[in-house]
Amino acid sequence: MTHDDLVQALLAFIAQDGCSDAEFDAMALRLFAHQHANNAAYRRFCQLRGATPRTVKGWRDVPAVPISAFKEATLSCVPADSAERVFMTSGTTRGDVKGRHYHPTIAVWDASFTRNFARRFMQDTPRLPMAILFPHERELPNSSLAHYLTMAVQRFGTDASAWFVTTQGMDVDGLADWLQRAERAGEPCAVLGASYSFVHLVDALQERGTSFRLPAGSRLLDTGGYKGQARELPLEAFYAGLRAAFGMPRERCINMYGMTELSTQLYDDGNAVVPSVKTGPHWLRSRLVDPLTGREVPRGERGVLVHCDLASFNSVTAILTEDVGIASGDGFLLLGRAEGAQAKGCSLAVEEFLRANAP
Amino acid sequence: MSTPWTAGHLPGLAHDEVAWHTLTFGELAVRAPVLQPSQLTALARRVKQAAARELASLPVSRIVALLDAVIARLLDPRDPYRQEAERLLPAVTGYDADMVRLGLTGFLQGFRAPQLHRFVAEDFANPKVLDEFQPATKGGFVRAYGPGLLVHSWAGNVPALPLWSLACGLLVKAGNVGKLPSAEPVFATLFARLLAEIHPPLADCLAVVWWQGGDAASASATFAQADTVLAYGGNEAIAQVRALVPVTTRFLGYGHKLGFGIVSRAALDTQRGPAAARLAAHDVVRYEQQGCYSPHQFYVQRGGRVDPRAFAQYLAAELANLQQRHPRRALALEEAAAVSGWRHGAEMQALSDAGCGLVGAPDATWAVAYSDRAQPLAPTAGARSILVCAVDALEEVPPLVEPHARFLQTVGIACDPRELFTLAESLGRAGVTRIAALGAMTAPEAGWHHDGRFNLADLVRMVEVESSAERAADRLAPYAQEDRP
Repeated sequence: MTHDDLVQALLAFIAQDGCSDAEFDAMALRLFAHQHANNAAYRRFCQLRGATPRTVKGWRDVPAVPISAFKEATLSCVPADSAERVFMTSGTTRGDVKGRHYHPTIAVWDASFTRNFARRFMQDTPRLPMAILFPHERELPNSSLAHYLTMAVQRFGTDASAWFVTTQGMDVDGLADWLQRAERAGEPCAVLGASYSFVHLVDALQERGTSFRLPAGSRLLDTGGYKGQARELPLEAFYAGLRAAFGMPRERCINMYGMTELSTQLYDDGNAVVPSVKTGPHWLRSRLVDPLTGREVPRGERGVLVHCDLASFNSVTAILTEDVGIASGDGFLLLGRAEGAQAKGCSLAVEEFLRANAP
Repeated sequence: MSTPWTAGHLPGLAHDEVAWHTLTFGELAVRAPVLQPSQLTALARRVKQAAARELASLPVSRIVALLDAVIARLLDPRDPYRQEAERLLPAVTGYDADMVRLGLTGFLQGFRAPQLHRFVAEDFANPKVLDEFQPATKGGFVRAYGPGLLVHSWAGNVPALPLWSLACGLLVKAGNVGKLPSAEPVFATLFARLLAEIHPPLADCLAVVWWQGGDAASASATFAQADTVLAYGGNEAIAQVRALVPVTTRFLGYGHKLGFGIVSRAALDTQRGPAAARLAAHDVVRYEQQGCYSPHQFYVQRGGRVDPRAFAQYLAAELANLQQRHPRRALALEEAAAVSGWRHGAEMQALSDAGCGLVGAPDATWAVAYSDRAQPLAPTAGARSILVCAVDALEEVPPLVEPHARFLQTVGIACDPRELFTLAESLGRAGVTRIAALGAMTAPEAGWHHDGRFNLADLVRMVEVESSAERAADRLAPYAQEDRP
């Protein structure tokens, strides 16, 4: 089977209306065989675990690669320099080492984005004026989020859409004007961007004593969390701030959960209750595991998230995240990062060591 | 869940006068007292007054005898306090019960009378300075006064750790208020109760309290009464405590540390090599690398019959054995994620570098990473994960650890006498404060200088009667003879 066949099969898979367990397994195994055969680093990883296309019987058996591996190894079925796009992690967690996700063609990523975004965020509205609180793709060509938001405007934005954040900072004046116009126009609009940009914006508007009441049908999308970026605040306070600044009810504030290492995003259906249940589309399935054994935890217990994303056809479909979750409904609640087990003893913990050695 | 066990020792306060917070440790629930800041202030004052009344007049030898009596009870397997400790400590810390039992016995032996006398003598050439003015060699007289009130902020879940600072506080005759760590609220409580039982006048000289981490009002109220505050914990926790201590109050902080080991080729013949690995494994397993003295890395010299890679294999085999005798405690999800992340890093290194390796299956309860090249010192994820690095010469080690001087404390070492003193010189210069035998890393000697400091001398205030005062007084004596110079 050629690479192009695989891409065509995937595009068709994404386009279909849902899938059965058997269909999901079949596609996962097809992709595993492809990656095992063509992705040398992944094959070595599988060898250590004794996993081969003969032993892997279903999507749950596909060895999940810790996301840190995207920093240390080239996880790609094609030569890295032949990729159409490379998305890189922001590299804040470990110095300058960035994780890289190679996309030989961006078509699958785009198809995954479009189908999912239309349903989960646009909710069948064809287009909305969009204010983007993140730099344009031209400025950050290796940022998957910049690409995501650029695609959002391209496919779902009106001509009134605009960018208000550059790598230099946020144009609060321009944004306030835009929001005022949107408010006057009385037509639904959308504000999308990084969670920490919303925190900055809410602070800035509060300082000016300005607030808006965006027209009915408007919606917000934030992503990425804000730990370490702006002041940290609990989810309740975050949504209270959004309500005060935009007059936006919490059920119209959608949080997107995405990662550079995935090719598909997960969403909630608003945040009337936090934490909210996150779910993905039919071509992504998640498991909650014990990170040491890789075994699934019993339902109701906390576990670390493993995602099997069929749209990641060139890297690895299954990744082991550093995010802790707990199963809920047909998805999971995101409980935060499994970082630095709080040191209970008197021995130096890795986190403290890294902090102490930070430049 | 069974009835909760009650932690704390609150002289002068009835149980219904304070609120209680329940800490849960699996099946075990422990009630910790929650005092109002005003109650903490009153308690601290009461302790200070009681110490001035009851403790200040006791000769240090008498205090040693009383502590010895407490320790004797805690060493007696038939004693109800000892049995309580053996029952509760494994439950709260999660450590294997046998490991706790053996560790506790070894630890307590360091606080019997002969060891305590040595402890005092280590800091005071003439221990009687703690009791009365003693002649000073430079002339005049000198006496050491402990703080009226010593407040301890304990941390960590290495069982019984508060005994260090409590023994120090009592030996310098301070009133003591200790804040229990949420991770191990048992030992200090038992100790305080037992001391009160053995010598009731001391019951009021010691209080054991608790407050929720970050409760600045409670901490401030307590610290405001202290003459000296002792804090254990990570840098962040210590910084938080220090910020709440009045600037005129003496503050002593003991931060988290990072231990390592050095194995010379002298210890790596076919007889001694496996034995050294066994001792190293013991240091790793004892308290699951949570002690300040616990090792995270071993530097192993090339050129012996057992080469560094084989040493790593022996170490792995010993860790597998010890899992049978002392199973690893259950890990919290965050700990498991940390171990998994560390393992994964070692695995990736092994994939890209044939000189590196990782011994131990993903679901093993231990992990030994190996590197052909000497790596700079860094903490592992703990929970029995350890890095073995090969070195050509032992002199390579001090420069590798020196950049982390502020985190250095214990080195476990196996080498010949000549190497020992050469290395001691350069390790000491690099920041190490304790060099112990492999296998003894987790059991510091009585009278050791914790983090290179003077345990008792750091707590006291020296008061001097200068010879001029003595001479001037002589001149004013009723029997003074005017014509004598």
